[in-house]
Amino acid sequence: MKEPFIRVENLSYSYGDGGNEKPKHPAVSGISLEIGEGEYLAVIGRNGSGKSTFAKLLNLILDPTDGKIYISGKDVTSPDMTDEDVYAVRRDIGMVFQNPDNQLVATVVEDDVAFGPENLGLPREELRKRVDDALAAVGMTEFAGYEPHRLSGGQKQRVAIAGIIAMLPRCIIFDESTAMLDPIGRRDTVEMMEKLNREKGITVITITHYMDEAVRADRVIVMDNGRVLADGTPKQVYSDRELILSAGLELPQCATLVDRLRTAGVNIPDGDSTTPEKCAELIASALKGGELS
Amino acid sequence: MNKAELKNVTFRYMPGTVYETLALNDVSVGFEDGKITGLIGHTGSGKSTLVGMLNGLIRPMSGEVLLDGENIWEKPKNIGSVRFRVGLVMQYPEYQLFEDTVEKDISFGPKNMGLSPDEISRRVKEAADIVGLSGKELAKSPFDLSGGQKRRAAIAGVMAMEPELLVLDEPAAGLDPVGRETVFSAIADYRNMRNSTVVIVSHSMEDMARWCDVLTVMADGGVLMTGSCEDVFSHAEELKKTGLDLPQITKLMLLLREKGVPVGENIYTVEAAYAALTEIFGKRASLKRI
Repeated sequence: MKEPFIRVENLSYSYGDGGNEKPKHPAVSGISLEIGEGEYLAVIGRNGSGKSTFAKLLNLILDPTDGKIYISGKDVTSPDMTDEDVYAVRRDIGMVFQNPDNQLVATVVEDDVAFGPENLGLPREELRKRVDDALAAVGMTEFAGYEPHRLSGGQKQRVAIAGIIAMLPRCIIFDESTAMLDPIGRRDTVEMMEKLNREKGITVITITHYMDEAVRADRVIVMDNGRVLADGTPKQVYSDRELILSAGLELPQCATLVDRLRTAGVNIPDGDSTTPEKCAELIASALKGGELS
Repeated sequence: MNKAELKNVTFRYMPGTVYETLALNDVSVGFEDGKITGLIGHTGSGKSTLVGMLNGLIRPMSGEVLLDGENIWEKPKNIGSVRFRVGLVMQYPEYQLFEDTVEKDISFGPKNMGLSPDEISRRVKEAADIVGLSGKELAKSPFDLSGGQKRRAAIAGVMAMEPELLVLDEPAAGLDPVGRETVFSAIADYRNMRNSTVVIVSHSMEDMARWCDVLTVMADGGVLMTGSCEDVFSHAEELKKTGLDLPQITKLMLLLREKGVPVGENIYTVEAAYAALTEIFGKRASLKRI
């Protein structure tokens, strides 16, 4: 059987006492799952549920206290991993963080995008091509010569994404990358995730508090207390109202509405009601269906 | 009556340079006494500049900023007292926590006001109560709190100054649903207890729809519209054009109208949508029975 892109086995992590006498508490506790190449996955959970820790483990920013991570069958948590091996994993799995102001290092946009690939020691033409392609992919070509601090939050996030694309990654993790953006910046960033996933086949893992973002993914994982509470399509996950609420989360408003209508005895066919589009279809078909019967 | 008001206010950043930007262009807008007003608008629409105007952090280049009808820049030397009356909670205020206990951090503002120790401790206790921090948490280091608690501690620090006008820039950004709910209900409690006026800046239309009495929409350095949530969200097309999002339920209602379902234009909450749809489904059911 072919090895999945990412396989996580009984993964645990505890933030150490670090000298400040705090008891160790597991932030991630015995997670096992597989992520296939090209998946579009959302991870949701309340503050402190372990989402970000899980992401940092995948990117080898943190070393697991217990358990294994395999990437294409290779044990990347093995003590035999050299620095080079670790860098290779980070090239494969890039990460975009929350604050757009903390991620840009250069004084000109294109230098910032070139920062990663420059460190790979690529020939000049190859470097140029990667930077140009990455800026084009995020629609920021015309800003190549700009100073990053003159850009909006959403534009800065796109430059940060371009810096990762220029490394030709197989997977990008977005760790609450839309939390500090305005609606346009959020929409642009989410559309960028979808585009990278659909057109370039890049595996996208998005960690988010926004339910309307999570429902756009193909698969949703709910975390609580460092564990995976649910794992399925948005429709499957959000149909378990009790579970979502017990994890400190909320249902998308449209799903709540359909839920309440059904409880009141309105006959709405079974189906996905997580987005306004899908919900409108369901309600309209319920109205039509009734007229026919 | 307006608690605070801007009258023909204009402000430019970096005037006379190539980077000159017109942030507020002849803006006149009022903030009603005792109400929670939501300030919405795209990035660069002028929201933050306007917020900075309200407590005198930024001085208008022309026009007036009024608090209880008086120009706050009448005597520039007295601008400090305006900052005690208008409390400003910036974005991610927990980055500004610095004392070694939560209690000391919350007392910092009232101490600067020169209040008596008894008055300070009363205010700290009340503010902590409003945001839901217990005595146990007050004794802790702010850095031992969870993310949501840190945010609430920082907000309590401003509430303890008992400002007549409380202004908050994205008070719930980055919090999970339960954390958001706690923060917004604390803000509503503060308003109800003190009869004060509140201005909230946020990008979350669902939160604005739920907690605000009045919405003011800004676009390109000016005020596009101001009104009740019902009024404002019924201008869906205009809002979309200026790059704003609509509440999920408003989006759903727009789509249903496109499909010929006769729902009203002013529905933006789950409750209202539920009422409208049960009526439609109910009518249909009774027609069928006939």
